[in-house]
Amino acid sequence: MEGAAVLSQLVGRIQELWEMYGSYYALDHLDPRCYRLDFEKGLIEDDCCGVLLGGKSQLLKTAETDESAPCKRHRIEKGGEKAIVSASPETMEQKIWKELPEELLEAVIARLPIATFFRFRSVCKKWNSLLTSTSFAKSYSEVPRSYPWLITVTYNMESRGAMYDPSLRKWHYPSIPFLPISYVICPVASAGGLICFADMRQKCFYICNPLTGSFRKLPPGPVPVQPQLAVGMTLNGTTSTGGYKVLCVAYNRDYGVFDSLNNSWTWLGAVPPSIKLPIAMSFMSQAISIGGAIYFMRAEADGILSYHVNNGSWKQFIIPLPQNLKDHALAEFEGRLMLVGLLSKKAATCVCLWELQKMTLLWKEVDRMPNVWCLQLFGKHVRMACLGNRGILFLSLKLWWTDRLGTFNISSLVTYDMSSKEWQKVPDCSQWVACGTEFYPCPSALV
Amino acid sequence: MATTGASDGASAAKKEGLVTLMSGDGEIFEVEAAAVAALSVTIRHAIEEGFGDRPIPLPIVGARALALAVEYCRKHHSLGGGAGEDSAAYDDELRAFDHNLAKVDRDTLFDLIEAANYLEIEGLLNLMCRTVAEMMKGKSVEELRRTFDVSNDYTPEEEEEVRREVSWALD
Repeated sequence: MEGAAVLSQLVGRIQELWEMYGSYYALDHLDPRCYRLDFEKGLIEDDCCGVLLGGKSQLLKTAETDESAPCKRHRIEKGGEKAIVSASPETMEQKIWKELPEELLEAVIARLPIATFFRFRSVCKKWNSLLTSTSFAKSYSEVPRSYPWLITVTYNMESRGAMYDPSLRKWHYPSIPFLPISYVICPVASAGGLICFADMRQKCFYICNPLTGSFRKLPPGPVPVQPQLAVGMTLNGTTSTGGYKVLCVAYNRDYGVFDSLNNSWTWLGAVPPSIKLPIAMSFMSQAISIGGAIYFMRAEADGILSYHVNNGSWKQFIIPLPQNLKDHALAEFEGRLMLVGLLSKKAATCVCLWELQKMTLLWKEVDRMPNVWCLQLFGKHVRMACLGNRGILFLSLKLWWTDRLGTFNISSLVTYDMSSKEWQKVPDCSQWVACGTEFYPCPSALV
Repeated sequence: MATTGASDGASAAKKEGLVTLMSGDGEIFEVEAAAVAALSVTIRHAIEEGFGDRPIPLPIVGARALALAVEYCRKHHSLGGGAGEDSAAYDDELRAFDHNLAKVDRDTLFDLIEAANYLEIEGLLNLMCRTVAEMMKGKSVEELRRTFDVSNDYTPEEEEEVRREVSWALD
């Protein structure tokens, strides 16, 4: 029984890898018409939150035009009330800002969008040094950040890293120094702003902070790096400063943990026989970490496995899946376990979200994709990969169908904010994104 | 906000639940102790240390900024119970109040940041810092050097090196 499941997973993996490496070529041959089809339009029309992207140039322009006519600094007299003037960008042109105490300047800079903070590193050496300043790291960690980013590696003649910031709805292309040119290596897990990349050809892992490009190649581990591997990552404390651990489970039940503090792997033998495998080993269902526990989806019987890195204990929970479900993945929202997947009935397909009921150990549906979007999936073949599963879901969707005009194929990336329950289409992304992971960007995260 | 204090010789101000604050420029404010103590760590400590029956001196806070900071505390205490932005109590009225407060002129904004920092009013400090960050984010590096009066201390090679490191953030 287990052997058959492993075999079917291997077949699934081969398909995934083929899609990852091969599909871009396939896309090249498509008629450009297919990018203008209803599904895409429907998503764009629905997406009414075009925010901020145009704002930047506007601000710059205002500032430029105002430079020639600096405002006179005018203090409001004591007791002079109601003399409240609207703050506009040009009000920055005031030398009072140089008097701002350093700790307050750090508090302000910590609230800039992350990309802006990086851009401002070239102001002067002192601003640049904030990146490694412990007081700045503290200021930064005190600012609540609700938006995780997505990181992926795309391939178009050569591979390159891409990060998506859902708060500004903007893509960034970081330089990831160890990224091989001719093939894709996958981000498979993250913790505290650090990403774990798995290189299947070199059979090794890298840990990287994509904002700074700093990275570490992990020493060879006890478990061979291969596609049939489940990987989880967790922090020792609340930030990467306290170190992190990477857990690897191979299909033959062997598992090991990498500890960043002593830069070595500990081979822990085989998963106890009482724990039923296989783990759903797939990039489409990444592990999630809550506290020190790493959760995996399990197949046959359906359920969840958890491994606690601090006490080394495994636990299993049998949880029946909703019927007619496929491409499902675990997710996490405010410490709660969620499930996302495609629900299909006859020709209808919809993306649904469930929350685990702790008392009954059952999945309870909490939301689904808007009807108008689901209609676009009707009658088509649909595949989905859940690339981001904490706070915001990043769902990579691929549709294909054949009609009398030919065979068509559309890919899109969709986000679902579990807190605001908003669905959005990611702009500038019409490729099938096969691998990726979510991370909370942190400039000071150390590998 | 009046309370019936025990007649243990405490001043009239304390009996009424009021506390007196003195701004750096000597202006006296009588405000509800509960509201300011709930939001300002500095004033809470001062009251705990027995300042309740005499004016609490706030040497670096000007009268204008203090009046606004007190108003912020009152509003947030009465409407939100001092709750943070993520809380359900942070309703539209508070949001509108914060939004208007963030529109003060630049000098007041500057003074309010310092006041919020000195008085340790976390929400106000966050609001004001975010407002300044919002102003900064569209600026060019050259504009920021002028605004903050810092000189470019990089050699051209060093500057190029940093630019290369941050190139992902420039597009």
